[in-house]
Amino acid sequence: MREEIERVGQVKLVFFPYGKREWFKKGVSILDAAKALGIDLSSLCGGKGTCGKCKVKIEDGTEGLNPLTEQELKHITKEEREAGYRLACQAIPTTVVSVYVPERSRIGKQRLQTEGLEVPVKQLNPFVKKYFVKLSKPTLHDSRSDEDRLLDALNAEYGLPTDLDLDFEICPDLASRLRDADWAVTAVNWKNKIIDIEPGNTSHRCFGFAVDIGTTKLAGFLMDLNTGKVVAVASKMNPQIPLGEEVMSRITHQMMEGKKGVKELQATVVSGINEMIEECCEKSNVEKNEIYELCFVGNTAMQLCFLGIYGRYVAFAPYPPVLRRGINIRACSVGLTAHPRANAYHVPVIGGFVGADNVAVILATRMLESDEICMALDIGTNTEIDLGNKHLVMVDSCASGPAFEGMQIKHGMRAATGSIERVSIDPETLEVNYRTIEDEPPVGLCGSALVDVPAELLKAGLMDLTGKFLLEMAKETDRLRRGPKGILEFVLVPQPETATDTDIIVTQGDIRELQKAKAAMRTGAEILMKRLGEERKETLAEDDISKLFIAGAFGNYIDPENARTIGMYPELPLERVDFVGNVAGTGSRMCLISKEERECSEKISTTVKYHELAADKDFQKEYIDALYFPHKNLNRYPDTVNLLRRLGRIR
Amino acid sequence: MGEKEKILDRLRQAVILGETEKCTKAAQDAVDAGIEPWKAIKEGLAEGMEVVGEKFENKEYFIPELLLSAEALYGGLNLLLPLLKIEQVEAREKVVLGVVEGDIHDIGKSIVKAMLTAAGYEVVDLGVDVPASEFVKKASEEKAGVIAMSTMMTPTLMSMKEVEEQLAKKGLKGKVKTILGGGTVTEEWRSRIGSDAYGEDAVQAVDKVKMLVKEIKAALELVEKKRKK
Repeated sequence: MREEIERVGQVKLVFFPYGKREWFKKGVSILDAAKALGIDLSSLCGGKGTCGKCKVKIEDGTEGLNPLTEQELKHITKEEREAGYRLACQAIPTTVVSVYVPERSRIGKQRLQTEGLEVPVKQLNPFVKKYFVKLSKPTLHDSRSDEDRLLDALNAEYGLPTDLDLDFEICPDLASRLRDADWAVTAVNWKNKIIDIEPGNTSHRCFGFAVDIGTTKLAGFLMDLNTGKVVAVASKMNPQIPLGEEVMSRITHQMMEGKKGVKELQATVVSGINEMIEECCEKSNVEKNEIYELCFVGNTAMQLCFLGIYGRYVAFAPYPPVLRRGINIRACSVGLTAHPRANAYHVPVIGGFVGADNVAVILATRMLESDEICMALDIGTNTEIDLGNKHLVMVDSCASGPAFEGMQIKHGMRAATGSIERVSIDPETLEVNYRTIEDEPPVGLCGSALVDVPAELLKAGLMDLTGKFLLEMAKETDRLRRGPKGILEFVLVPQPETATDTDIIVTQGDIRELQKAKAAMRTGAEILMKRLGEERKETLAEDDISKLFIAGAFGNYIDPENARTIGMYPELPLERVDFVGNVAGTGSRMCLISKEERECSEKISTTVKYHELAADKDFQKEYIDALYFPHKNLNRYPDTVNLLRRLGRIR
Repeated sequence: MGEKEKILDRLRQAVILGETEKCTKAAQDAVDAGIEPWKAIKEGLAEGMEVVGEKFENKEYFIPELLLSAEALYGGLNLLLPLLKIEQVEAREKVVLGVVEGDIHDIGKSIVKAMLTAAGYEVVDLGVDVPASEFVKKASEEKAGVIAMSTMMTPTLMSMKEVEEQLAKKGLKGKVKTILGGGTVTEEWRSRIGSDAYGEDAVQAVDKVKMLVKEIKAALELVEKKRKK
């Protein structure tokens, strides 16, 4: 993102957690600026300062704001004032200001997809198990230690080994625990340890928490370890976003701030996870100390940030990760609120750019067990592509960028109330039809619409295969016009219909950003097909791929045909495309409830072969070819070519 | 339009449309028609590339078109450059160009290289993952006035800082000017590490390099004047 420090007569505003930034004329209020950017900041009074709904937190640049107005003094408490809160309609910036829009001040909740495929585990076999035992009281004839009495009983009743360790933390008052419970207790067993002794029979209350630490969002699942079922779900934006919008900036934050930055990133994400635990527990009447184990997946940078590990070197070629294997730590040691002796397990990673989240994808799609060759595409700011079957799975990762998340797109936004999620253009009349989330007036475009737009422009003949808007079509529709600096743009929704104060448009520059993003993904797929083919000593074609799994946040909402039309993935029959949603979360849940799945993830981590895309000799050529719609090499897209031919777009 | 002007126009069009064969052919025709090679470069190829730059700026052209034009440009240059007179060759300012240590993304660099070459600079391309010391060493060896470096990633921005530090250590700051580019570089970063310029894209990079070269020349003249006094 380009940054300038100063512009005459203008001020720059940055909005979190959206990552939106723009210059405005001096004198603009934060509320007006937010509205102009399509940010869903709530305001009932229309900016008079009377409703107090538009509270925002100033992250940076407080000194560049006007003093608090009378209206603000009415609505903002002393604590809030000290924390940097203002009413967006009253605050007028004079310099660069960073603004955080808290959840409660947003009109609609962001749609954070948490659902993912439900995959049956090989065996429900959690590491944590509870055993209820009634012990015989000590007598003069049986004066075994309390410890042996317990272990012998567990052995006699459940066949547990007698050499289990008693976590020393429970030993100081072990004697009274047993006696207070009148010798009827439940032992909590994790691996070869007894981590707690609870009075009475609590064996039906045994919970775990599975987490997917995404760069932009967190998803948490409270699981019943006895049944393997999800009890409650929570999700939220990753609170680390203000410390860096993507993985590289977060690592940079560590580098710039040193130990303090490492700690700060860790504490921030842990607090987000704790909020999800809190929320899930509240929803389901579970106590936090009934959570005995937690399981985590995330990309390698998130793993480092979460565990508080200095990650500098993962960011430099050749991008080696620090740790690869799965990691067990005591949850409370990083500040997680759960049972005081709960274990936190982090799923292993594959490489610097292929983390535990991708291990989870391979696990949940069962690629490494498949006879047929499958491809998986986990779409995000970094897109990971997996290809292979039980003999060999290869993976690469490409910087597809945040364009499909709506960033760096003029009117792009994340999926939230009022964002356009579907677009179609009538090839005859060139009129635009669209649908918004919750049918609210349109604010901007989210990822699924950003897949539709280029496909529809192409089909309507408004854009050619190189992605260039066709100026001569301006004669047919006034939606196509020249914008500032002579750059062409297409009006999707004229202002009277929008919830903002401008037309919602897509610019030629936006198309270029989307081309870069889709080309990166397509190149990743192409190169893997080539390299896996070499490993298998055969030429791999589209037809050899029996299944394409599309994972990731917006996967479930995109139109598979339009995605194919723009060349986001190789041309496969649509029935082979499977949208699996947040399978990283699925994998995290599987590893939480099954020892076998955890072993399987360790196997994936060691056997899946990472391929460094940027170092591949064919990368540049393939990337350039993939920039075209759908691809430079049209004979790779026969169905798409037929479609465009029927519409008269190509001869 | 005279015969020579027609050939120059063919050179321009071949670059604009990215037609390598036509460009090489036009370059040969230029030579055969007795057009000065430097004139064919400047008024043919370079002017064509300028149009390409404008089209890229308003997003009409994109990376593939730009690279095709660059290819056509090199086709013409390969033929014309060897024919330049020795003093014309020496008059070309040198720019040392590379992707900084830790990064290997080089499409952007290739584009900048083409734009700089078209604008008349001799580009010494150090490739990717170039250590700071290599930039500094090559700049001295080649007597280059400008070091141009790029990166697409955030942490590798630090590698740019290291180049600045090494230049300072060797007392070369000001004598060798630096320009930064790449997806993650910002004007803010430039000023923070004390680099001399930041090019938002390939077109801007050329303008900024021109400015830097002018500054160097002005500084040299000043030194010269003082010495004469």
